[in-house]
Amino acid sequence: MSAVLSIVEYDFRNFFRYKMWLVGLISMNLANLFIQALIYNHMLSAAVRLSIGNYFNFFAPGLTVTGLFASAFMIGREINMERRREVHHYMLSLPMTRLELAVGRVLSGGSRGMVYMIPLLLTCFAFVGVPSFSQLLLILAVLFLLAMGISGLSIAIAVSTSNLEKFITARGAIYYALFFCSSVFYPLSLIQTLGQEGKFPVPLVILAEINPLTNAADMIRSFLMGTPKFFVGMIFDVVIFSVIFTFIAAFAYIEIITRQV
Amino acid sequence: MVHVPGLNYYPYYVGGLAVMTLYSTAIYIGFDIYEEAEHGVFEYLLSLPVSRRQLALGRSIGGGLRAFIYVGPLMAVSLFVIGALNPLNFLMALLSLFLLAFGLSGMSITFAVLIKSSDRFDIFMGILDALIVQLSTVMYPLSVVTQTNPLYGGLAQFNPVSFGSDLFRWGTGVESIITISNPLLPLLGIVIFFSFFTFVGIVIYDKHIEGGGWQ
Repeated sequence: MSAVLSIVEYDFRNFFRYKMWLVGLISMNLANLFIQALIYNHMLSAAVRLSIGNYFNFFAPGLTVTGLFASAFMIGREINMERRREVHHYMLSLPMTRLELAVGRVLSGGSRGMVYMIPLLLTCFAFVGVPSFSQLLLILAVLFLLAMGISGLSIAIAVSTSNLEKFITARGAIYYALFFCSSVFYPLSLIQTLGQEGKFPVPLVILAEINPLTNAADMIRSFLMGTPKFFVGMIFDVVIFSVIFTFIAAFAYIEIITRQV
Repeated sequence: MVHVPGLNYYPYYVGGLAVMTLYSTAIYIGFDIYEEAEHGVFEYLLSLPVSRRQLALGRSIGGGLRAFIYVGPLMAVSLFVIGALNPLNFLMALLSLFLLAFGLSGMSITFAVLIKSSDRFDIFMGILDALIVQLSTVMYPLSVVTQTNPLYGGLAQFNPVSFGSDLFRWGTGVESIITISNPLLPLLGIVIFFSFFTFVGIVIYDKHIEGGGWQ
């Protein structure tokens, strides 16, 4: 366990080396909220306004999930850089098992995502509403699981290629697929309606429904705004995503990194 | 989801998307400068038999031109989706977009040479990107931006990206997405932006690169 914590500490030290970068990222996220969301609030159609109310309030939980995704994904970039610069040889030489090393990397990626996301979540609570204590615990638990899954996904991609451009391209493709087929920017009910009307491909509607970003954002909305209605499936969806990608990441990290030696 | 009286939002947004992509592509030249510095290509470029000013101007034109080529297919798709074209208007809009791309490249080079740290440049451009794109008419019309906050509206009104997106939409000739009555004002705005960053960029580039001053 202490080995895992050492890896977490190592990754956190790296994370805080880029304080200004983090401040910049948070500023960008807040600009999204205080400019884009406020302006879109004046452009909503009557039907959507009836469904979601205020777009600023609707978007704030989505933005929290967006920030979590961006920061949890950062670990992949670092691991990819370590692989390119062959720092992974040093990592493998540390007195710990491969499993401890892999678990430490996934755990630190997820934890760093949580640290980054806190200011955004607090902004969300300040403007949208405050959850009850039990709801808060549930929100934090689900977001942590989501961060672990995203971190795992990022690590799995990072170790699969030693080329930074391929990593960035894969990150972009995943970002667009996961964000635009989710309820981060618009309500799931709207995507489903478009799917029923034949204006949006059904596979993408299904992707939006099972997308962990949709379920995490909607869970926060359900606690803070009362809509959409909360159901246990939202939590299960995130748990399944997290478990799958945490295991894939640990396996890929151990197998691929060791194979290079 | 979105409803603005008198505006067909989908083609409006598609037009803005092309300009947004042009912006992102044009500013990429600044990152190339750091890449070149890291790999020692900068010294090679400085050793070429061209003046510093020619080098800076060439980089700006190259950055603008490659952004334009990159966004060309997206512009073609945008025009197809929007569904109409007024050839004369569009030629003028294309020219102004080229000047915009040229000016954006100059701006990126200027900041890259001034900031001198790829990390800080990355942060700065990220924040600038968020502000310059969101406080523009790329995604929403000026009337709505002003209605939301008069300060936002004031900034969006004098934003070069707003000029570019308004002119691109005007160039299509599709009434339901045109929000400007006089194209000369945004055109003038783009010319001023382009002139400022090209010439200021050249001067800064010229002064900051000698004797390893860019490091």
